[in-house]
Parts: sequence; C-alpha cells; structure tokens
Amino acid sequence: MNIFLQGLYSFFCVVGFSIIFNLPRKLIFIASINGMFGWMLYAFLQSSGTSFIVPAFIGSIFVGLVGEFLASVQKHPATLFIIPGIIPFVPGYGIYYTMYHIVSQDFETAMTTGAESLFIAISIACGIVLATSLFRIIRPFTEKFCVFTPKKNNTI
Amino acid sequence: MNDIELKKIINIAVEAGKIMLTNGAETYRVEETVKRMAESRLNTEVNVFVIPTGMIFSAEPDGILITKLYRVNPSGIDLESIDRTNEFARQFSSTDMSLDEAESKLLELVSPPNFTKLTRFFFSGMAGGFFVLLFGGTLSEFILSYVASSFTILLWDNLTSKNMNFFIKNILGGFLASLLCFIGISIGKWIGVEASFNMVIIGPLMTLVPGVSLTNGIRDLISGELLAGSAKIMEALFIAIALAFGAGMVLQFVLAWI
Repeated sequence: MNIFLQGLYSFFCVVGFSIIFNLPRKLIFIASINGMFGWMLYAFLQSSGTSFIVPAFIGSIFVGLVGEFLASVQKHPATLFIIPGIIPFVPGYGIYYTMYHIVSQDFETAMTTGAESLFIAISIACGIVLATSLFRIIRPFTEKFCVFTPKKNNTI
Repeated sequence: MNDIELKKIINIAVEAGKIMLTNGAETYRVEETVKRMAESRLNTEVNVFVIPTGMIFSAEPDGILITKLYRVNPSGIDLESIDRTNEFARQFSSTDMSLDEAESKLLELVSPPNFTKLTRFFFSGMAGGFFVLLFGGTLSEFILSYVASSFTILLWDNLTSKNMNFFIKNILGGFLASLLCFIGISIGKWIGVEASFNMVIIGPLMTLVPGVSLTNGIRDLISGELLAGSAKIMEALFIAIALAFGAGMVLQFVLAWI
C-alpha cells in the first residue's frame, strides 16, 4: 500500500487517540505528526521485509527521540508526545487475538500470537528507554543549537 | 516549621502524586514529582515508593519520622491531568507559592477540562475507523467500524462513571463492542454490503485494549521498577482476558449467523 496514504491514516488515528487520552488541545497536531512519521518509518521498514520486531523498535526510537526533543522545546512532559505516538504500533490487536484464541481453546495459535505481541511490546519499550537515554546525551547540543525559543517562564 | 505546615506540605505533595498516578503517569515520574515537591520545602531526604495501586511516603523532618500509606485506584490515561500536575509541581518546588494557594490550585487539578461528549464521540470513531484502514480494510468496513467505535466509547464513558469493578467493566465493554459490530454487519448484510467481522472489530477493540499499559509496564520493568512493572502487566493481561470473554460471548452467535 502507498506509504503516504498509510501516513495519512495513521495521522487521523493518532488524532483520535489523542482525544480519547485527553491530550491538551494545542499539542494534538504536533503529537499526531510525530505519530504519523513514526508509522511511516514503521510501514517502510515492514515493507522492506525485516522481521516484526525491527520496525517497532526503530519506529519507537524515532517517536521517543522526537517526543523528547519536543518535550524539551515545548516544556511539557515527554509522555504527552510519546504515548499518542506509539499508539499505531502498540500490539493491542495481538493481545486481543491471544485472548480470543485462548477462549476458543486454540492454545498453539494463542502462544504464537501472544509471544509475538509480547516481543513487539518489549521492543517498543526498549526503543523508548533507549531514546530517552540517548536524548540525555544529545540534550546539551540541542539546547545550544536550538532555533526555537523555549518558554522561559516555567523552567525549573 | 510547625506541625500544621508540615502536614499541609506532605498532603499537597502526595495529592499531586495521586492525581498523576490515577491518570496513568509513569511510576518514575510520580516518584520524582512527589520527592521533588516534598524535598523543596522540607529540607530533608524523602523516600517515595510507588506501585500502580498505592503509594508509600516516608520522611524525617526535624527528627520526627513520618510515614504514610495511600491507596490509589488507577482510572485510565488522562494526559491533560498529567501535564497540569507536572506544571503545578514545577511551580510549587521552584517558587515560594504559599501553602493555601497551592491547596486551592490542587483542587482545580482534580477535575481538569475534558473534551465534550460530542467531540469524544466523533473522534473516538476516527481512532477506531482509521485503524481498520491501516490494517487494510475496505471502505464499508471503515464506516461500520467508525460508527461502532464511537458508540463503544460513548457507552464506555457511561460505564466508567458508574464506578464498576474493572474486570466486569471490561467484560461489558468487549461484549458491547462486538455486539455493535455484529448489529452493524447484520444491517450491512441486509442492505447488501459485505464486511468481515474480524476486520470491523479491530476498531472498537483498539480503543479498549490495554496496549499502552502493557508497553508502559515493560518500560517500568526495563528501568528497574520491578513491582510496578509486573503489576501493570498483570492489569493489562486481565483487561485483555475480560475483553476476550465479553467478545467471545457474541462471537458464538456470529459464527452461527455469518
């Protein structure tokens, strides 16, 4: 499928979830753009034939880094950008399917789907933790060369 | 510093932490916030231990040992609350805000502005509907899923306001989500539109499934919060089981009908 069409779909998807999670109004657009690029990267890696773990890992590193950067520029917690951003790759459907197979007594398929969704969740979590620690190293440089003007009134 | 002030400071710090925790903030953020707020005023070391269902606070200002245990009921993710409380915590620990002022600000934080019901209704459909397109659904499946997701979130908000046990609530949620899809598909079939049940149900379920709490739980485990992480993963697991129970009941009919 066309990668830009996928990007458009994921943009609206993240907008919807931002409203469900009650994200502050003025951050919705920027968080959705973050999620959109994250998913486009994910879709691109997936179409290039890597395994199911790598796209989620790289995608969440991207979302995490951009989220941390936006957080330092906009002075809001990074979670506000990261949680809506990772929504498209979160294995919600996988979790549901695992339980569905268990309920319908198909334990072998349940094991496969369950392990797959667990590893996707692990790779997303790893990606975000890695992005957060990477950003701690990069942060001094971004602050030095930052072209945006951060709000000064609410820094610690 | 007298006794009353001391109690007020601890109360303010812990209440702010509780608001963050009930609204789904990460464990380390809650711990750091409470610690920073209390330490900025008490001039002593403060220890905070947070798990998703409770919080233990301990400090020893002026040689008096104070330990408090708080019980917390988590209630989903509300990013606006987290943002406001974070802002409040920064102000409290960096300026000389008076305690009375802080208390009145804290009261405002308890009920943050929310989107209107109509906005939520419209956009939650968007969240579910576009997921179907991401998974490669057709236009008719998109429309059915959009409508089903909107109504699922509407009913879900009503269930949440009833203060129900989370397991029962999720069974009902899964049941309603798949029932709405089933009704939608039956109507579609009657008009002459083909849609696959497995595709349509992605939308409403994505809005209920605990993908974010599973990921957050693993994130806590990776960063060393073993107890909080396991608790969150267990919660996600049980929510998923409940949803599958609810959806499974309807699926029995679907397999017989479609």
